[in-house]
Amino acid sequence: MESLVVDLSQYLPILIFLVIALALSAAFVFLPMGVARLTGTHKPDAEKLSEYECGFPAFEDPRSQFDVRFYLVAILFIVFDLEAAFLFPWAVSLDMTGWPGWITMMVFLFELAIGLAYAWKKGALEWE
Amino acid sequence: MTEFFQSWGLPYEWAWGIATVAGILLIALPLMLAVAMVIYAERRMWAAFALRRGPNVVGPFGLLQSFADGLKVMLQETIIPSAANKGIFLIAPIITFTVALMAWAVIPFNSGAVLADINVGLLYVLAISSLGVYGVVMAGWASNSKYPFFSAMRAAAQMISYEVSIGFILICVVLWAGTFNMNEIVKAQQGALFGVLNGFAFIPLLFPMWVLFLISSMAETARTPFDLTEAESELVAGYQTEYSSMAFALYWLGEYANVLLMCTLNAVLFWGGWLPPVDWAPLYLVPGVVWLLLKTFVFFFIFAWVKATVPRFRYDQLMRLGWKIFLPLSLIFVVLVSGWLMFTRYGVAA
Amino acid sequence: MIQTLAFYIFASLVIASAVMVIMSRNPVHSVLWLIVAFFNAAGLMVLVGAEFIAMLLVIVYVGAVAVLFLFVVMMLDIDFAELRAGFVKNFPLGLAIALVLLAEMVMGLGAYKAGGMQLGTPDGTAAAAVGASNIKAIGALLYSKYLFLFESAGIILLVAMIGAIVLTHRQRGDTRGQVISRQVARRPEEATVNTQPEVGKGVQL
Repeated sequence: MESLVVDLSQYLPILIFLVIALALSAAFVFLPMGVARLTGTHKPDAEKLSEYECGFPAFEDPRSQFDVRFYLVAILFIVFDLEAAFLFPWAVSLDMTGWPGWITMMVFLFELAIGLAYAWKKGALEWE
Repeated sequence: MTEFFQSWGLPYEWAWGIATVAGILLIALPLMLAVAMVIYAERRMWAAFALRRGPNVVGPFGLLQSFADGLKVMLQETIIPSAANKGIFLIAPIITFTVALMAWAVIPFNSGAVLADINVGLLYVLAISSLGVYGVVMAGWASNSKYPFFSAMRAAAQMISYEVSIGFILICVVLWAGTFNMNEIVKAQQGALFGVLNGFAFIPLLFPMWVLFLISSMAETARTPFDLTEAESELVAGYQTEYSSMAFALYWLGEYANVLLMCTLNAVLFWGGWLPPVDWAPLYLVPGVVWLLLKTFVFFFIFAWVKATVPRFRYDQLMRLGWKIFLPLSLIFVVLVSGWLMFTRYGVAA
Repeated sequence: MIQTLAFYIFASLVIASAVMVIMSRNPVHSVLWLIVAFFNAAGLMVLVGAEFIAMLLVIVYVGAVAVLFLFVVMMLDIDFAELRAGFVKNFPLGLAIALVLLAEMVMGLGAYKAGGMQLGTPDGTAAAAVGASNIKAIGALLYSKYLFLFESAGIILLVAMIGAIVLTHRQRGDTRGQVISRQVARRPEEATVNTQPEVGKGVQL
């Protein structure tokens, strides 16, 4: 039920779930490591522990500089995510705000539509 | 369930605690079993699509194949590359799997049968699914190897690109339902079309949104045709390249748990969740959870079907689809849906 | 009891992870600790009953802002030794900023005691203006009373977007994009010819 006061007893299961899920996944990761030591399959050597490559040692540091375009995508994502964040309370309060609330949001969306159009025109959405 | 444990003579707090833990295990353990069976089912389906036999040796009809695989990886050696950042390397699969489990806390399985009945259930799902990117990015970075790193960057950019349109699509659903509570969203779908059909997807204005949501959920879980993160011809196995043993298997389990979650969300948000498809009294005799599972499996079949038949996208095509088609379309539908509701529901009284 | 316990757990974890953010040698670890801090802050928000803000904290800060941070520290080749050398030089500046923030917090607490924007009452009870859940109440206020602030937020977002594009977008010029309409409009007649070459003779293309 949609309650007026926040019911904290509904959030406690989430916290307990988090603890159980973390314990479960940690067990899944660390248990086989112990099992492998017991059964004797744990036999690391230098070649096995080297990174996956085509037979050569890697020529350069794998963490190389990346295209700035990924960064641009992340920034555009933040802007649109914030826009969505403004839409969430609006979507459930339309019955209280009525037409003024609706028109306000349309103006807001129009502002961001300008931004989107600008990004489009500039080719920022283009992945060449 | 609390009342049941109280009837044993336990005080309320204890009964509540035991009931909650039991509820969590009732979600987590069947989910893991379902993931194992679903992997088997999907392999059988792909085999059928390609006129092959598929796994049919271990157990009757090969039903135990996934368990044999699980036992195998369980007994394998966990290789931690010497160049890797060990802590993050091991935490990454833990995060992936934890996140894949956590979102199920707010999924309503039947009327009122939900672990955490919170007001902002849908936002919780959105918040949890936005964390999925971290398991991948941390794995890719901590491996300190080329292929995982490229894959992680691709995965991050891909996931956030499609999260944008998923956000706007969900707003359309919320506009119609008028609430973020998952259980209430399901109830709002009762008799959505002419009081007969249960499900938002039957409403002509919301049907296109469901199509977008289905495709976006494939992109969000990095399934074919959007599996550029593990495009094996370019990136070996993507961000999982350096993983082995159960840490590797956790990515598989997490991926399929996420796929199941997205299938369930499709059912809950657009196809009436635990409601029968038609608002007709005899159909309510079937327990709601059966309807939900049936719908989920139909969507899983669609996922498997698409994976078996559609070729992989190129990265520029994927980005164009997300930013230039899905984003404007979902924005336009937010305007259309809210405008329609203003004229028919909210605006008239004011 | 559980609430108090949860508060102290969340609060101490926020502080501990915030300390780890500035103590970590590796910037990627710093960002990951920052995410832990955001999480626990969200937990604190849930405890005071601001569930919508808690979810937004995770969606916006953990899901979007921290991803950007992670992108930046993972992808830029920063010379960390050089950065650390600048620590001593920038220490006074950092201290000054910390003092300003502290002063702001003290002033904020004072303002809170003085009452104010009618959003909430000084004794901690929520504004009773709207009888609805958290998220609805925010909506009802934001899109009627604080309408102009909301619109200016939209303008700020627009400026941020244009600024980011101007600063980071570079035309590569050496790549060939795909023009779907041209691909689809292409007909076999334009692309292929049928010829019947004589034996021993080549084909002129």
